[in-house]
Amino acid sequence: MQQFKALFLKEWRESVRSFKLLWIPLVFILLGISDPIMNYFMEDILKAVGNMPEGFMMTLPEFQPADLLMASTGQFQSIGLLVLIAAYIGVFSRERQNGTATLIYVRPVSFTAMYASKWMVASIIAMISAIAGYAGSMYYTALLYGTVDWMKFFAMLGTYCLWLLFVMAVTVAMSAAFNTSIAAAVTIVIISLGLFIDSLFGGFWSVTPWKLANYGIALLTDSVLLKTYWLTVLMVVGLTILSIVLGIVMSRKNMRQLKI
Amino acid sequence: MICIEVKELTKQFGPKKVVDGLSFSLPMHTSTALIGPNGAGKTTALSMLAHLMEPTSGQIIMPNVKDMRSAIGFLPQYPQFYSWLTALEYMEMVASLSNLDKRALKSECKKMLAFVGLEDAMNKKTVTFSGGMKQRLGIAQALVHKPKLLLLDEPVSALDPVGRREVMNLLKEVQEQTTILYSTHILNDAEEMTDQLLFLRDGQLVEQGSLQRVKEKFQEPRYKITFSHENEAQQFTEQTALQTQWAKNIVYIEILEDRPTMQQLLYQLAISPYEVLKVERQTASLEEIFMKVAGENATI
Repeated sequence: MQQFKALFLKEWRESVRSFKLLWIPLVFILLGISDPIMNYFMEDILKAVGNMPEGFMMTLPEFQPADLLMASTGQFQSIGLLVLIAAYIGVFSRERQNGTATLIYVRPVSFTAMYASKWMVASIIAMISAIAGYAGSMYYTALLYGTVDWMKFFAMLGTYCLWLLFVMAVTVAMSAAFNTSIAAAVTIVIISLGLFIDSLFGGFWSVTPWKLANYGIALLTDSVLLKTYWLTVLMVVGLTILSIVLGIVMSRKNMRQLKI
Repeated sequence: MICIEVKELTKQFGPKKVVDGLSFSLPMHTSTALIGPNGAGKTTALSMLAHLMEPTSGQIIMPNVKDMRSAIGFLPQYPQFYSWLTALEYMEMVASLSNLDKRALKSECKKMLAFVGLEDAMNKKTVTFSGGMKQRLGIAQALVHKPKLLLLDEPVSALDPVGRREVMNLLKEVQEQTTILYSTHILNDAEEMTDQLLFLRDGQLVEQGSLQRVKEKFQEPRYKITFSHENEAQQFTEQTALQTQWAKNIVYIEILEDRPTMQQLLYQLAISPYEVLKVERQTASLEEIFMKVAGENATI
């Protein structure tokens, strides 16, 4: 426990002193508020810059609050996740490569504590970012379109946080398993490419980890079977645990890659 | 009392044995220099002792020690610290990792930083440190958990003469409390504080013993005679019955079993017609000894 605390403090200081705690939430806030504001003023924006022909008529869809949260989620899933993965893909591999890990690994340090400290700091930053992003999105949605059921909103937020825990577990595990560039490639394939493929062919199946965020949104409009939702949650939890175990095993195994 | 015993330690990378059948033991509170040219396997051997690398075969034994990693302090050749932490924060972290008692932790870290002379810099981030300061912080982190064995990889090689002096003085002080094994490729550094020398070449232990013994074995005493002219030296070389080597106006005469004596040589020179500028008795410098041990058998 003492080891975990020491390592956690070290990782936390890294995130604070490199301003990750500041700029990643800022990115999410910007992503979160862009959709409600943009859609609300779409007509004016088009008028101002659109250069539309005389008599042009366009009917914009009537957005419900849930649609805008859905749009924000889409932004987080594409850009937000990439930012998070990029920020934390080096937590293990960079330490090994630049030699700072050598002085840690000579001590009787537990790899579980090491993995846990890195994963938790990354996850906390990710969750703070998501909460900030959704708060921004919800604020403008409530202001411009109306509110949603708060219980359901928090259920959605919790679901998204669970998804982020999984994403960060994969990111840290890949960092433990490979060097930085390969880890980045593999993580992006698993997360971002996975999301893309699931959105293309996802109609054929209903329970995959990549659907979790969408099901979280669907909770708002009760458009998902609770059984399907919980199965997906269970699957993500299982895969998170698997990633954690993999990360711990791989970080121990990769000790020999240390630069001494 | 034996601090650590190493038996037939071997590390193989592919077909190449980087460390090959290394066996030695270190008595408590001694300091030992692991000497060898670059690529001799010093760093690999130390890494295995520090448990950063699994040996291919062989044993490392520390009597009466349960977890060897807690009993070993290690300083790599180029210690790297987390750039965003201050020296004190870094020390507190590694002390926690070595399971130091929580209450004593902070004062212990401060004491150690003061010991290595980083008292004024302890709240500065480590990125701002000079090479010498980093090395001293490296020593502090290696000592904070009071290890029984201190392993240092080239502790002074990268330092200027001032930094070298500082570090050597620190290590001399430390020597009273712990056993030191350090690698170096500079014999003059080893001369400062060494009870035992381990000479490594191509992964094998080629020479072992006190510096005095190694010196006696390899110093190969000789006379160096400086003549005023090159042709005088040449003529002397041709006429004398002694074993000589001739280079320009200098002639070297090997001393084998104390023969010839200085008297004999001076007599010979006195009756010769040559003008002699200087006669001196020489022993091989440490550097030459190093070259000899490092290069010995290399041609065979």
